[in-house]
This record gives sequence, C-alpha cells and structure tokens, in this order.
Amino acid sequence: MTDWTKYRNLTLAGLMGASLLSMPVAAQEGEPIKVGILHSLSGTMAISETTLKDTILFMIEQQNAAGGVLGRPLEVVTVDIASDWPLAAELARRLIEVDEVDVVFGCWTSVCRKSVLPVFEELNGLLFYPVQYEGEESQRNVFYTGASPNQQAIPAVDYLMNEEGVERWVLAGTDYVYPQTTNLILEQYLKDAGVAAEDIMINYTPFGHSDWQTIVSDIVAFGSEGKKTAVVSTINGDANVPFYRELGNQGVAAEDIPVVAFSVGEEELSGFDTTPLVGHLAAWNYFMSVDTPENAEFIAAWHDFIGDDSRVTNDPMEAHYIGFNLWVKAVEAAGTTDADAVIDSIVGQETPNLTGGIATMLPNHHITKPVLIGEIQEDGQFFVVWETDGLVEGDAWSDFLPGSMDLIADWTDPINCGNYNTVTETCGGS
Amino acid sequence: MITAAILRALDKKAIWVISILLLAAILVPLSNLMLPVGHPLRVPNYLVPLMGKYLSYAMLALALDLIWGYCGILSLGHGAFFALGGYAMGVYLMRQIGTRGVYAHPELPDFMVFLGWPELPWYWLGMDQFWFAAIMVMLVPGILAFVFGWFAFRSRVTGVYLSIITQAMTFALMLAFFRNDMGFGGNNGLTDFRDILGTPIAAPTTRAILFAATAIALALSFLVCSMIVKSKLGKVMVAVRDAESRTRFIGYRVENVKLLAFTVSAVIAGIAGALYVPQVGIINPGEFAPANSIEVVIWAAVGGRGTLIGPIIGAIIVNVGKSYFTAALPDFWLFALGGLFIFVTLFLPKGVVGLFTSVWNAIQARRASSSAQKGVGPAPGPETDFPITTESDAGNAQPKTNPAE
Amino acid sequence: MRTAHPFRLFLVTILVAILAGLSSGARAQTVSEIVPTMADTNLRGLAAAVEALAATGEPQAVAVLEALGAGNLYETADGGIYIRAGSGPIRDAATGETAEGVAPGDLKLIRINNSLRRDIRAAIGNLTLLSDDANVRLRAAREMFGTADPANIELLDEALAEETNPSVRTVMEQARAAAILKTDVSEEEFAAAVAVIAARGDRQALGILNSNLANASEIERVNIEAGIARINQALALQGIGQNVWYGISLGSVLLLAAIGLAITFGVMGVINMAHGEMVMIGAYVTFVVQEIIRTTNPGLFDYSLAIAVPAAFLITGLIGVGIERGIIRWLYGRPLETLLATWGLSLVIQQGVRTIFGATNRDVGNPSYMSGAFEFFGIALTWNRFWIVIFALVVFALLLLVLNKTPLGLQMRAVTQNRRMASAMGIRTPWIDAMTFGLGSGVAGLAGVALSQIDNVSPNLGQGYIIDSFMVVVFGGVGNLWGTLVGAMTLGIANKFLEPYAGAVLAKIVILVLIILFIQRRPRGLFALKGRAVEQ
Repeated sequence: MTDWTKYRNLTLAGLMGASLLSMPVAAQEGEPIKVGILHSLSGTMAISETTLKDTILFMIEQQNAAGGVLGRPLEVVTVDIASDWPLAAELARRLIEVDEVDVVFGCWTSVCRKSVLPVFEELNGLLFYPVQYEGEESQRNVFYTGASPNQQAIPAVDYLMNEEGVERWVLAGTDYVYPQTTNLILEQYLKDAGVAAEDIMINYTPFGHSDWQTIVSDIVAFGSEGKKTAVVSTINGDANVPFYRELGNQGVAAEDIPVVAFSVGEEELSGFDTTPLVGHLAAWNYFMSVDTPENAEFIAAWHDFIGDDSRVTNDPMEAHYIGFNLWVKAVEAAGTTDADAVIDSIVGQETPNLTGGIATMLPNHHITKPVLIGEIQEDGQFFVVWETDGLVEGDAWSDFLPGSMDLIADWTDPINCGNYNTVTETCGGS
Repeated sequence: MITAAILRALDKKAIWVISILLLAAILVPLSNLMLPVGHPLRVPNYLVPLMGKYLSYAMLALALDLIWGYCGILSLGHGAFFALGGYAMGVYLMRQIGTRGVYAHPELPDFMVFLGWPELPWYWLGMDQFWFAAIMVMLVPGILAFVFGWFAFRSRVTGVYLSIITQAMTFALMLAFFRNDMGFGGNNGLTDFRDILGTPIAAPTTRAILFAATAIALALSFLVCSMIVKSKLGKVMVAVRDAESRTRFIGYRVENVKLLAFTVSAVIAGIAGALYVPQVGIINPGEFAPANSIEVVIWAAVGGRGTLIGPIIGAIIVNVGKSYFTAALPDFWLFALGGLFIFVTLFLPKGVVGLFTSVWNAIQARRASSSAQKGVGPAPGPETDFPITTESDAGNAQPKTNPAE
Repeated sequence: MRTAHPFRLFLVTILVAILAGLSSGARAQTVSEIVPTMADTNLRGLAAAVEALAATGEPQAVAVLEALGAGNLYETADGGIYIRAGSGPIRDAATGETAEGVAPGDLKLIRINNSLRRDIRAAIGNLTLLSDDANVRLRAAREMFGTADPANIELLDEALAEETNPSVRTVMEQARAAAILKTDVSEEEFAAAVAVIAARGDRQALGILNSNLANASEIERVNIEAGIARINQALALQGIGQNVWYGISLGSVLLLAAIGLAITFGVMGVINMAHGEMVMIGAYVTFVVQEIIRTTNPGLFDYSLAIAVPAAFLITGLIGVGIERGIIRWLYGRPLETLLATWGLSLVIQQGVRTIFGATNRDVGNPSYMSGAFEFFGIALTWNRFWIVIFALVVFALLLLVLNKTPLGLQMRAVTQNRRMASAMGIRTPWIDAMTFGLGSGVAGLAGVALSQIDNVSPNLGQGYIIDSFMVVVFGGVGNLWGTLVGAMTLGIANKFLEPYAGAVLAKIVILVLIILFIQRRPRGLFALKGRAVEQ
C-alpha cells in the first residue's frame, strides 16, 4: 500500500524536471516551493472550482516567469477532491504530509472548508479560501479572501432599501448553512431597520433544484401586495440557471421585483442568455467589467494563459489573485515559507486588488474589500450601479447574531485568538 | 453450540483473513508508534487513518455482500445505514467538544448556537455517554433496516423494485439530513471533533487504536458473516437467492430469513460508519448520496460477490486506486475508475477473487489431469463457497412481457 | 401616511414638466438639443436627459428613449450619440437618419440601471398614450396602471375621451382608477374606482387594493375589503388550476427524462445508469447545433431546436447502439451487472464531456417561441413549459406507435417476451436488442433537447434526473409505457400540491416516502403486469 508514494515521487520528479527545463533558469535556483491546489475537478462542484484551479496555475506561471518567490521556483501539486468532503480531508492531509506543500489554495463550499480545517490546524498548514461565506469562523491557519456577510449581503440590502425603496423582502436560498446564516443575519438586520415580520418571506430549496414554477409564482404573489418587493437570493450553483430562466419566462422584470444574488457571477451567467434578466442585481467585490488598468491587464493575461478569449473572470478568481499575492508578500517578508513565520508576517500585508483598491490582510485573517452592486447586462456582464465609498473590513463574527456579537478574532499578539470575547476578555474555547 | 458454529466458520480461508487482520491490528500501530520517523518499515502518520478508512469501507462492502451475494437482496441504499452509524458516532463526538466550541457554549454545538437553537433537541440527549452512543450506532441502523425490511419483505417487494426503494430511502434521508432543521448540521454535517473517550482524537496513539479497532471489528464481522453463511440459515439464504419461490414452497419463511440478514447487515454497516467518522473527521449528508451506495455495490462486485473475502479486497482496491488517482491524475481518474468498472463486469464477472479462483483451479486442473493419467480422482470444484451462476439473478429478472399493453 | 418616495417625487416632477410643456406651450428643449448631453455622463446626467426628452413630446424622443431602454443607444468617443438595433444600420439619435462614417467598433453602449429603466418606461408611457397605434396605447396604459400616479389623471381623461378600442379603454379606465385611489376624492368616485380595480381581478389589482387599505376611511375600507375578498376567491381557484398545470409541466419533464429509461430498463431489463448521460449528451448536441448555427447562419436560430431534435435522437441513438454492441450484449442474463458497467460508463461519459466541453455550463438559448408566457384563464403559462408538455406527449405517442404498430416494435416485443422463440421465428435478436437500446437512448437524447431549455447544460445534467427517472419507471410499473406516463404525471402533480404547504425540500422527501409505501402495497408498481411471468 505504501508503494504508490514511491511512484508518486517518481512522477513528481519527472514533472519537476520538465518544469525546470521549460523555465528560465536564471532566477530559479534552489529547492522549489510547493503550492497545493485542493479543488473539485469532478462531481457537482467542478462547475465552479475548475476555473479556480486554472487561476492558481496561471498565478504560479506568472510568478515563476517573474523569478519565483525568494528566488525559488514554485511547483504545483494538484489533487481532485471530487466534491467528496471526506476525500477532501484525506487529500489535504496528503498534500501537507506527503507532498509537503508550503501553502494550499482550495475549497469552495463551507463543508469542504470545515472538513479540511482540523487537518490544517493539526499539521499547521496554510489554506487560502477564496469564496464568500457565512462568517462565524476565524482559524489561525486559514485565510478568508472571499467576502464575509458584512462585505456582501448587508451592503446589498442597504442598496435595495435606500436606492430602490424596497419594503418587502423575499429571502430565497438553498437549504444549507451559508444561506441559513446569511438569512438569519439579514432577517435581524431588516427587523432592526423596521421591516415587519410579515414583510419578510424566507424560502429554502434543495441543492440542484430545477423546477422553480411554484416558487417564482409565490414570489410574484408576495410581490403584488402593493409594496416594493425584492428578492435576496442565496441560491447556490446549478440551481440558479433554471431559477433565472423561470423568472425571465414568468416576466419578473428587474424594474418591478429586482433579484439580488450573492452566488451568481459572470461564470454562472455564461451558461445562458441574459436578455430577460437585464437589471437584476448581484453583489460582489469584483466584476469583470470593472474598468481599471489592473483588471484589464489581468483579463488579458488570463485569456492568454487559458487560450480562450471568451472565458470570463469572476469574484472568487480575484480572491485567489489577492490571496496568492498576499502569500507571496508574506513569504518574502518572512524570508521563509514556514507556516508560523508566514502567519506572523501576513497580517497587515497589502496588495492591490483588481478594482483599484488595496487589499489588506486583517488580524482576523479576513481582508478589506470594496462592495460593488452590479446589474446584469445582455452580454452576461455586470454594470456597476453602486459601490461603497471605501473599503469594508471583513468581519469574522456577525454583529447581528446574539451568540457572536461580543466575539472578535485577532491573530496578532497579545490576543492571538480566533474567538476572543470582548466582554469577558477571554479566548472563547479556553 | 456457539463454539461449534465458530469452529465451523473457521475454515482455512477464514483463519487466514482473520489472522491477517489481527496481525495488521497489532503491527500497524506498533510500527507507527514505535519505529522512528524515517524508518523504512514505519507506517507514516497519514496512512494510519487512511488505512482505517479503507477497512471501514471494506466492512461496509462485507455487510452489503452478506445480503447481495448470499441472499440476492441488492440494496442500493446501504450507504444510509453506514451514514446513520456515522451520525450516531458524530453526535457523540460533538458532545465531547463541550465548551471548546467557538462560542464556548457548555452544551450546544456551534451550528446550533449561531442558528439560534435554544436547547439540544431530544435525540441529542444521552449521546454524551459512549456506551449509549455505541448502542445507538447499532440500534438506529438496525431498527431502520428492521422496519424497512419488515414491510418490504412481507409485501414481497423483490428484485429491482427493492433496489429502487432502498435507493429512494437513502435519497430521502440525504434530503432530510441536508435540512438544517433536522438538527444535524445540515450540509456541513458534524465536524471539528476533539476527543474520543477522553483522549484527543488527532493524537497518533488514538489514531493507531482506532485503526486497530477497525481491523478487529472487520475481523469480527468477517467471523460473524462466516458463521452465518456456514450455518443452516446461510444455506437457506443461498436458496432464497437462487430460487425464492421454490424456497417458500418448501416451507421456509423467506421474509424472516431476508429480514434477519438485512438487519444484521445494516448493523455491521452502522458499526463501520461509526469507525469511519473519527478517522476521517467529518460526517455529512453526502454519505447518504445514492451514488455512494452504488459505489459500495461496485466494490463488492470488483472483489467478487458471493464470497466474503471478495468485498474486502474490492473495497480496498477501488479506494486505494481512488486515493492514488485523484492525486496523480486529477483530470483523468474518472476514466480509470469508470473503465475499471466496465472491465471488471465484462471480463471478471466473478471479480478479482473469481479471477484468482479460476487461475488456481486451472493450476489444480492441470495437476489433476497430469495425475488423472495415473487414474486419480476428479478435478476439484471451484473454491468459492457458493458459486454464483447465471441463474442467480433469476430472482431479479425483469418480467419479460409486452411493454405497451 | 404614504411615504414621499424619492422616485415618486421624481415622477411627479417629470409629469408636471410634461403637462407644463403641453399646456402652456412654453419653449421646451428639443431632442437635438438634449441628445448631445447624453454623451460622457453618469446615471444622474442620463436621468436628467430622460426627463428633458419626456418633456419634448417629439416622436424622435420616443425613439431615443426606447433605444436607451433596450440597450441600443451608443456613444462615440467624440460625443456622438447613435441608435443601432442589433447589427442593423447606425442612426443618428438626434435626427433618426442613417449616420455615415461611423464604424461599429467605435460605438460604446450607454448603460442604465433599474430606476432609470422605470423612468424611461413611464416617460414612454406618457409620450405614447395618444399614439395612433392601438398596441402602443395599450402598452402605455398598462404602464400607467403600474405607476398609478395621480398626475396622469388629466392625460388619461384626455385619452379616454378619444379612445374607441374597447380593450385599450378598459386598461385606461383601470389606470385612471388606480390613480384616483391615491387622491382625495368623494366616496362615490372612490367606490367606483375600487369596483373598476376589483373587476380586473388579478394580482396587480390585489396589490393596489391592499396598498390603499391602510389609509382608507371606514366606508372605503369595507368596499376595498369586499373587492379583495372577491379577487382572493378567484385567485384561490386559479391557484388550484395553476398547481395542476405546474404538476403537469413537472410531470412531463419527468416523463421525458424517464421514458427512454422505460425502454432500456423497463423493456430490456438493463439497469441503465448511463441513461442520465444520454440525456446530457442530447443537451450538448443542442448546444453544438446552436453553436454551429450562431457561427454560420444566425438567422436560423429559431429553427435550432427543430434541427437539434433529429440530430440528438440520431447521435444518442447511435451511441446507444454502440453501448449495446460493445458492453450490454455481453451481460444479458446478468441484469444487475449491467448496473455496474453502465455506472462505470456514466463516469467515463461525464468526464469525457467535461474534458471536451469544460466543466462549466454551456449557453443554450431559448428560441423566441420558447420565451415568455401567455395567460390562460388568469394562469400564466410559460411558453417553454407549454412546448415541453406538448413535446413530451408527442414523444410518448410516437413511441407507443413505434412499439405497437411497426414491424420493429412487434419484433422488439417478441424478443423481450420470448427470446428463443423469437429467434426461432427468424428474428435477428441481436439486431433487435441493439435497436431497442438505441431507441431508448435516442429518446433520452430527445429529453436532453427539452431539458436544455429549462436546466443547466453541464456534465452533471444527467445526474440530477437519473434517480427521479428510476422512481417514475418503478412507480408506474416496469415494462409498461402507460405506467410511466401515469407515474410521471402523478408524481409531478403530487409534488406541486405538496410544495406550497411543505416547501420544496419536504415535498420531495414526502414523495419519496410515499413511493416506498406505495411499493409495499403494490410491489410491482402502479400498472403491474399480471400473470405467471411476474412470479419469475
């Protein structure tokens, strides 16, 4: 059973040799630094995660062309977690223990992160997690480069309330933890803002739900009570396409009942004709259509790398871009890839994001991000109709949930704790 | 009497299998804990839980084969029993976290705190006691299998119909466990375990003991299954598999035989699940996915159904392959896996074990034929205890009638 | 108290401006003066331009507004504003004349947001209420009904005085009534307006009545509540009809997905786990057909499905024949083993498609006749669902015909009933096996074409339907096409009636439990085959 490690090392050696041959050797002296990619390349999540694997491959190629990190070349180890979460934990362990990678970029779903988290904690690895999530977590070995609810959901609701005058809310989501938590936070937030309970409708559907007739007609019915109504959608992944198709066909126009989505980006929209959906909204921290020189350069280089000009970019890709650059900066600041040193040096590191701002790694291992609200256009892109004045700091613990109001995360001395209770001044678990 | 049954079960092959498993249960932990890091004979840390995972899968495949290979019941929902056992263990492990959750709540797990649950649901009570959880690990899958089987076998639901409703069962359970309102953590499932029986779950010693426990449990399950198939009950089971109506007409209560086998099989699957969870560190509704249950069937088929050793070998081969190929060929491993299944069904209908058996038989036959020239005895029969014949699927055959009338 | 919403205030401002422009004849800006201000500006600037355009009352203003709303208005770097619909000629926005010397590459789309879109709609409504075209007037009146602004009353009165078309008139009256409800009028007038709205009887009417409930006087309130009760009653009835329709529509999707399986699994006894992948391949064939049409002959796009249907049938049918010849035929007599082989096959096909087409969704468009909805006794039926129901029934009927009325069908039935006898009668059983499996796969491909219109086209498409398909076939009774039809419709309708009460997740669980219980009662499905053959 142990035999395969040997073979694996052989293939690795082969790959290494090949990559060394094909790269400019000048700046590439020394042991390679290994980067692990832990994404689903098959199964239900492959649809979203394959692009992220390519993004990291792309970043690594660019970094190597620029001379690597600490003068050492980067070497990639890719695994397929096949949308199977125990397998994700197993492969995470493999990456750290067998392949001895120095950093891992991976996961999309919360369950994937939750599944590998104990492994990273035990083996003291580094994980960069690039997707917007429900918050309520901060772990020493994990860096959350996607949005937390206060960087996406709450600004979106603010926008609808203030700019569109929405008074009645449908919170529609897939039945799992991210929508449940986000909706719980939003419900509290809306009630605090004076929205009556009967003006909030919450609806959950199973994963991959494809028959949306009843729910869309319920939304139409809910929206015809004479108050301006909007849908806040945390519907996940594949279920969005049939949902939007049904919306379009039942004639739910964005001017009447706008839908703001947190999980629908350029990648999801590239799957169908968006003409009937023009005007529906999405809240993200990045859109492909953002007009900045950094973004134009990134898109051009990406198209070059992937060899297909029709491939879109999206928010989690930007998160990986930021995460990768922050890691490079932290390694260079620390002078080593050692996990403890990187964890110490990464807080406070800054790197330009693609929307013209600066992403800073905060002590709670979240980053600063702008919040953009975009309207879907006919070409499947988003037109930014609103953005926050400055950057929003990611909040690990929501201020709107009773259990986590008093908690903060701070991985710098003297607190050094992911769930520090500011009232009792103790570190949660201890 | 039990001793007699055990002795009868312990034929040469069974002794081999059990000895190997027990040896592994001793040697793997010893080598992992005692030998220095870097020693060529040392089993590395990451391999210990991984091998434990393979063995718990092997146990699940064994449980499935007891009913499929010997009783002709093709369950496409055995993953459900495995997952239920796993959840029972998971709930116990969650309760062991105590105040070390992120919200430091003395009782509630984290996901209940932030979803605003006021107190533990009733079915979480008592699960902080290991003995109680251990009973639940067997009881929950056992009762579900008993109730399900009681209805299904009494109504004489057979063949494909039974397969499909077992699939419906696991699918319904998956959807139910995905619901956050079920109180089992929804899609995220149960994770971030700390202690088991007062020892830290991530400690090498705990891992080694868990592995040993899995190997021993597998050995015991093998013994139990062996006892069953060697007993009179086992003979009736095979009779049910090969000609259900005939067995019924002879006077056997077919439904009781099936029900017993089904329930025992579910309990073994539940124990396998309970051993699986602490070693992989997570249980989530994905374990209920119908695809997982189908995979279990495939393990048994790859190894060789209708033998007890086949499913163990099959589960290990397929999962080692999966572990290896997902890392070595991330973009193409499904081709390899899918290709393997097609290859095995087309060319190795009796699985890997069947291949060995026929090779062995060929050697024996050659030997026999060379001795036959001297006029000595007939060629020995196949090594499998209850060879699968093409007839064996008769119980599952489709009614061949006019489709449109 | 109604809140003075900024948007509403803004509308009032526009309308006051229009009315001022119309009545006093004060000199307003002309279109050619306003249009240049739309270049290189922001949303606020565009809003001002829309307001000004509305005030001109010129026909060209309507053209500019419509172009802006439809995303057909472009600017160039030198400040020119042009209209271009699709790939049509480029016109100067100020004059409407064809513009010379402007390259399509220089055009930059002027983008708008939702509130601007609403402003445009309202402005167009006001500008076109007195149009010569009845349809345009109807659209304008509907728009006014939606905005229900008291400032429109005068304009509506003016329009009503001249209106002769009864349907336009009705909508205008409703729009007027909706606006009246927002003003301080006498109780009689109020009651009349309530009656007009209540007579409309749809959700929009209900919305208007509901929103007026809060600030109505006692007597008015009684009126409104009676109206609401009447509408609710009608809607409840409609709700039942709607659920039945949704059920039929879900049922026909299930039928399409399952019917191919009813042949490969039901008739041949092959537990075909690769069935979902055949459906998926059908959807990808649609994608490829559309892609070819898009690049070679975009004008044919509306016919893409008509081309995709036979193409998908043939391609998946051929693949099916290949599978039968290559794999399945070695496994007859071992039905459960077909499960393993076809499962392996489904993994290979999925990964193959993922390698060729990528893991992400592919864009399959709806032809024009598959988009939108129509009203049928107050129930909104979407065209794509409607056509899928028809398509499913047609496929079902054709399949029945093939099985019962053609020599091929006769031979298929003969082979499945008694292979040896059939063979002895001179039927080439291997050929029939291949044809049957090919037919089942081909029908699965047809399902793929239909599903590409409502679901994602991704490598996982088939996985989402395979379990449901097995449930339908088994529930209906293996080996019986009518059982599949009834099974699919029953499950669809039951699901849709449960969904409003239990929610989508629970409804699905309940249905599964019901299937399990049902099989206990009827161990061979809904349409069990009788006779000795059943007992093995």
